[in-house]
Amino acid sequence: MSTLLDMLPFADMSRLTLGFWSFAVLLGLIFARAPIGLAMLLCGFGGWYFAMNGNATPLLAKLKSETYTTFSSYSLSIIPMFLLMGQFATLSGMSSALFRAAESFLGHRRGGVAMASVGACAGFGAICGSSLATAATMGRVALPELKRYGYSGGFSTATLAAGGTLGILIPPSVILVIYAIITEQNIAKLFLAAFIPGLLAAAGYMLTISLYVRLYPDAAGTRPAVPMAERWRALGETWPVLGIFGLVVGGIYAGWFTPTEGSAIGAAGTGLVALFTGNLGWARFRAALLGTAKTTAMIFFIVLGASFYNGFLALSGVPQFLADFVLSQGLSPWTVLILILCFYLIFGCVMDSLSMILLTVPIFFPVISAMDFGMSAEHVAIWFGILVLIVVEVGLITPPVGLNLFIINAMDPKTPISETYKAVLFFVGSDIARVALLVAFPAITLFLLPT
Amino acid sequence: MTRIVILIAQGAAVLGGLVLTLLIALTTLSIIGRSLNDLLHGDLVQSMLGAGAAWLLALGIGEINGTYELLEAGVAFAIFAAFPICQIYGAHATVDVFTTGLSPRTLRGLRAFWEVILSVTIIFITWRLFEGMQRFIGNGQTTLFLQFPVWWSYAASFAAATVASFTAAYCAALRVAEALTGRDLLPVENSGAGS
Repeated sequence: MSTLLDMLPFADMSRLTLGFWSFAVLLGLIFARAPIGLAMLLCGFGGWYFAMNGNATPLLAKLKSETYTTFSSYSLSIIPMFLLMGQFATLSGMSSALFRAAESFLGHRRGGVAMASVGACAGFGAICGSSLATAATMGRVALPELKRYGYSGGFSTATLAAGGTLGILIPPSVILVIYAIITEQNIAKLFLAAFIPGLLAAAGYMLTISLYVRLYPDAAGTRPAVPMAERWRALGETWPVLGIFGLVVGGIYAGWFTPTEGSAIGAAGTGLVALFTGNLGWARFRAALLGTAKTTAMIFFIVLGASFYNGFLALSGVPQFLADFVLSQGLSPWTVLILILCFYLIFGCVMDSLSMILLTVPIFFPVISAMDFGMSAEHVAIWFGILVLIVVEVGLITPPVGLNLFIINAMDPKTPISETYKAVLFFVGSDIARVALLVAFPAITLFLLPT
Repeated sequence: MTRIVILIAQGAAVLGGLVLTLLIALTTLSIIGRSLNDLLHGDLVQSMLGAGAAWLLALGIGEINGTYELLEAGVAFAIFAAFPICQIYGAHATVDVFTTGLSPRTLRGLRAFWEVILSVTIIFITWRLFEGMQRFIGNGQTTLFLQFPVWWSYAASFAAATVASFTAAYCAALRVAEALTGRDLLPVENSGAGS
């Protein structure tokens, strides 16, 4: 392709201008409610067409194979497998087992049932790579219990919405797979790096809960403690979660199998658990397949659009130009990093995490890579990936379009969404504090990685 | 008619899902085979079982040949087969904040407009996929391990993409009808991507 392009009588500058214009048009289309994948695809088509001086032949030729190549990608096939694994996980009965175990250990504390919900979400996140599925599944299990022990409506819904984000923060994580592919990083290392920040997130949410119940003592009831023997028995019943998580993440990391093979094993394992617990009849299996299909098509349409658009964008030289521009400003790398993270926090209020990552990482990643943080290039890439993962996930619990908030709130019709908004701000605060901590101490993210 | 189209879309999604499930089973079995093979070749097992290990290996315990190729072809089919149901439910990710102030009427119109563009795009992609398939029919290229013609994989995807095109066109027509009559004709559902 590059030889073909080199022959074109195009000054680099005009392609650059085209690149910037395409971005403006893209945002315009997206804000006018075009499906995001479609908007990227159209801008990609337009970009390739005009960059080729109005010649459609290269674009038409590219289209002959590009769709098939994108959809048949070995590394991307992780995504439908993890999605199906998530669907099986919601059927596996593990959500109640996890909640019972966490509740028996924490339930008697002040705010303990809420803490247990967060703990159970963290456990569920270890076999489910999706925040929405985690929020929805744990919401079904934990919401009635929270009600039973007198937890206030807004506090309960906010806790579960925030807990749901652990689904994607704790590996396996669909978003990290996408990030790894865009930036050509090792998926296993990203999963490993996400582990400590994920646990930190759960700990931070629990701390937030204990703070909240001290500020608003009426928001939480209490319940008697459970005998120790019963606690360990409840914990023992969650062994399939630990087994599957250990096998998938450990196996990928140890090099026993590729990440794609790991996702297949994870899906098979959760499927078998669902089958043996008697939760996988034909009707449920069919519903799981339909749910997987809907999300798969949505994700891959965006991936296809992004693949075309980002191909054009790289050709236009916009990412390189921006990287050079930012470098020439002489800003400190830390200032640039903080500006980018703030941008994600704000943009995350209106856009979903996957689209945002596919749209912005190809632009921001070269900028960050060009900066000197005093770490190896790989470490910067992994660290930045984890930071981005966290800040885009905050978008799931920030008004006005935090999807987790809507999902949980819809399960509890008596609680007005404004109550949920108020309580969730505490969890957003905890998220921001965690990001600040991880920015200040990259070692927290990186110390599990081999040197 | 709408019910039939929904049934077809669900059928495609379930078929794609079953293919995905088979691929998961195949991959898992292949890894189990590979691990057993490594184990049987190991010193410990060789010394303990001796001829038994050789006999088991001769049975062909090991990685399943061509898993990689089947996975790629199958996943592409499953993804194309997932599109019709996504069209029916209008489940593609959008940014809604800037259009929430619009009247329901205008919103319906806008929705119909994008649905038409979307269906044209999907038909366009399907047509190019067909051309891509023609190329592989022409050159007779086969896959590395299983030696099946590459165009078979394209044909499977093309079949699914054709169903997707048909569904997309039908949905677009219904969305236009919704905009004109102001009545809901298709199920509505919105969700964010991959989160």
